[in-house]
Amino acid sequence: MAMHAERSAALHELTSAPIQHAFNPYEDNGGTILAIAGKDFSVIAGDTRQSQGYSIQTRYARKVWQLTDRAVLATNGFAADGNNFVKKVKQRLEWYEHAHHKQMPLKSIARMIQTILYGKRFFPYYVYNILGGIEEDGTGAVYSYDPVGTYERESCRAAGAAQSILQPFLDNQIYFKNQTPEPGAEPFIPGNLPLSTVLALVVDSFTSATERHIEVGDGLEVYVVMKKGRPTDDLVGEGKLAPGMAVEELDALGEGDGEKTFLVTRSLKRD
Amino acid sequence: MVAKDIEVAPIGFDFSNYARNEFLGQSLGGLPKATSTGTTIVGLKFGGGSSGEPEGVCLGADTRATAGPIVADKNCEKIHFLTPQIRCCGAGTAADTEFVTNLISSNLELHALSQGRQPRVVTAMTMLKQYLFRYQGHVGAHLVLGGVDSTGPHLFTVHAHGSTDKLPYVTMGSGSLAAMAVFESSYKENLTRAEAIALVARAIRSGIFNDLGSGSNVDVAVITKAGTEMLRNYEMPNERGVKSRNYKFRRGTTAFSKEYIRDLIVKEEVRSTSGAGKEQGPAVAVAVGEGMDVDP
Amino acid sequence: MDALASSLSAPPRLTRDLNEDGDDAGSSAEWGSQGGFGNLHSGFVGGMTVPRTPDPAAFLNLHTDSMSSNPQAKIKLAHGTTTLAFRFKGGIIVAVDSRATAGSYIASGTVKKVIEINPYLLGTMAGGAADCQYWETYLGMQCRLHELRNKERISVAAASKILSNIVYQYKGMGLSMGTMICGWDKTGPALFYVDSEGQRLKGDLFSVGSGSTFAYGVLDQGYKFDLTDEEAQDLGRRSICAAGHRDAFSGNTINLYHVKEHGWDFIGNYDLSETWYEYTQKEKGDKMTRVEAPSPMAVEA
Repeated sequence: MAMHAERSAALHELTSAPIQHAFNPYEDNGGTILAIAGKDFSVIAGDTRQSQGYSIQTRYARKVWQLTDRAVLATNGFAADGNNFVKKVKQRLEWYEHAHHKQMPLKSIARMIQTILYGKRFFPYYVYNILGGIEEDGTGAVYSYDPVGTYERESCRAAGAAQSILQPFLDNQIYFKNQTPEPGAEPFIPGNLPLSTVLALVVDSFTSATERHIEVGDGLEVYVVMKKGRPTDDLVGEGKLAPGMAVEELDALGEGDGEKTFLVTRSLKRD
Repeated sequence: MVAKDIEVAPIGFDFSNYARNEFLGQSLGGLPKATSTGTTIVGLKFGGGSSGEPEGVCLGADTRATAGPIVADKNCEKIHFLTPQIRCCGAGTAADTEFVTNLISSNLELHALSQGRQPRVVTAMTMLKQYLFRYQGHVGAHLVLGGVDSTGPHLFTVHAHGSTDKLPYVTMGSGSLAAMAVFESSYKENLTRAEAIALVARAIRSGIFNDLGSGSNVDVAVITKAGTEMLRNYEMPNERGVKSRNYKFRRGTTAFSKEYIRDLIVKEEVRSTSGAGKEQGPAVAVAVGEGMDVDP
Repeated sequence: MDALASSLSAPPRLTRDLNEDGDDAGSSAEWGSQGGFGNLHSGFVGGMTVPRTPDPAAFLNLHTDSMSSNPQAKIKLAHGTTTLAFRFKGGIIVAVDSRATAGSYIASGTVKKVIEINPYLLGTMAGGAADCQYWETYLGMQCRLHELRNKERISVAAASKILSNIVYQYKGMGLSMGTMICGWDKTGPALFYVDSEGQRLKGDLFSVGSGSTFAYGVLDQGYKFDLTDEEAQDLGRRSICAAGHRDAFSGNTINLYHVKEHGWDFIGNYDLSETWYEYTQKEKGDKMTRVEAPSPMAVEA
């Protein structure tokens, strides 16, 4: 009898312990995004794998989105939040266009993204954003965000699964960190690399991340936004792209002010 | 009452740091990860019957080792040697699969020496399961064991807690479902040797491409009465292409604040000390080189 | 106009009912031009989406890591800082570092932690980067409205109180900010510390952030009200440099501002390791000196 009482007390203790029913709406869908700004162009890239744990949900899911003729947004983190976020941004951009008969400038999109993200400060979008494009003064720009809207204009930024692999590489190759120029030579000036170099760095970034990170792979999409009037033959010219890569010019979304957006695609390893 | 007086020697793992580690894990946000072979490993029996070929076992494995989401080794070996006629594929904690197969391999060799004959696959299986059961799953080895002995070909799976299965075709590891899908759709009894190798390679490829924990190359081992053939990197479907740019740095790229060159060649002085109190001769200096030249 | 302005100046309301159900309207917290027509009609900065759980603050705590206290959380928010500001006869010196960390990872080394609210007001950023950036930008709007309504610039005291009142309404919800509002008004240079707990202090010298103790060490040792402009700027720079050297969560570069009667001046951006090198090495020229190696070991000398 005593034993029975003891046991039921123990049982009671077990069942009466607080059981937390946490609301868990977030998931990590892997993948990586990356953007680099040039003098008169901007490059925004992302892989196309979407995963959950050890499983691939799809080998092609879009992470980089053309917003306007001079703005491209890359999203990473929780895909459902990312897709909804992009939908909301596009809607706001359409309203703006109807009201002002012009597309929203890049720096305004940048601020708008902050306010949308911060609007969910207490129930955040689990999304890391990178916005790339051309400013009104014609310079290439990259803006990067945290999930609740802190933002900053930069020359380059990597985010997502392989951020900690790629950002040190970009710091070295784009900002020339830990590199001393040749004695007597001009100091390195970040942000002046030619498009061909930037594109090669992006491709090497993603092939390397694919080698060492299990959530990166399948396909690569690179959006290139060019200032109006900039020659395009360094991208579309014969033999400019490495074998296995394809480029197409995307149609203008607005009146067509002269900025051009190209989509460069390439496959990545699928293992 | 009596048992209290008997001192039991501590056997097995020492858990005295468990609470401390748990606490450290909480305050550090996770303990260091052991390299785990998020893996696809498979095995099947073939030959005999209508195939008209000798019976045997074919094992397969991918070659990716991971630490969390990072690929730790792109071409590791997961088919371990036990005896000349017995091999063992390992999934789970890399260190555990490595050490448990090494240990059992040694014990099997001692067993063979004492018995004067080659050990059987069941013997290896029993030794593995008894060892693993003793450690209650804390030795994280998930194994596919295959080989040929005097009683014919045998294939087993051994789980980390010590349970075993004896089946004609088996898969294990994080890619086991992807690989088993291939086996379930295509396995037949009495496959030929060539068919068996092709099917095993296809099952491993299925794991490589559909399971993020598996990747890189296909390793295959074929064991028949005649002997064992290790087909290391039987297929290499994931070779890295050439990089777009060359990342060689100019000599002198890394800045430094001071230079310090230490002469590793030591000047020795030999002085005779024999005969205490005797007058000692002058020291004889033996120069061993005069210091290295340094690259300008 | 007045009705319009007063509707704008109403402080943000914390009401769970303001949750927007549709995706259509866009939260009115997004006070940027809404569809181009402006969102002036919607007034207050309410409508912050809140999760429908019994305890929204606990939800936020579970899923975000704003101060490295919850390292397994998925959503890492940038933080970690040394900021300082002090009043002296020549105005106010504001100096900050530029590092943002997420756990042990340096998320950015180029963060602007001085927020230029308007040409006369500066705010600093410590704690949650988004909280500081967003609410201090919002404060800029409120200050402009004050100018339009009253035909004069807002005092630093009033500006800092607007900010303090806003964040106080969100107390306990998980906001995290420790900021200094610096400016020059009718009373001269003025400096206020405002944080998300509701604290608001007027003072001559503050330092906020994980590296503040190191900064205070240098600051207190060198601070006098009668500092010259150059001495004061150097003291600010030197203090951040010391903090950046010792605090793992601070570093990269120093941003230095000087608030004067005509408004603030940006003095410069300095690489922290180069600055530290200048402070510690007497001669700059000996960067590449060859140090004589000690004589080789000998068996019995």
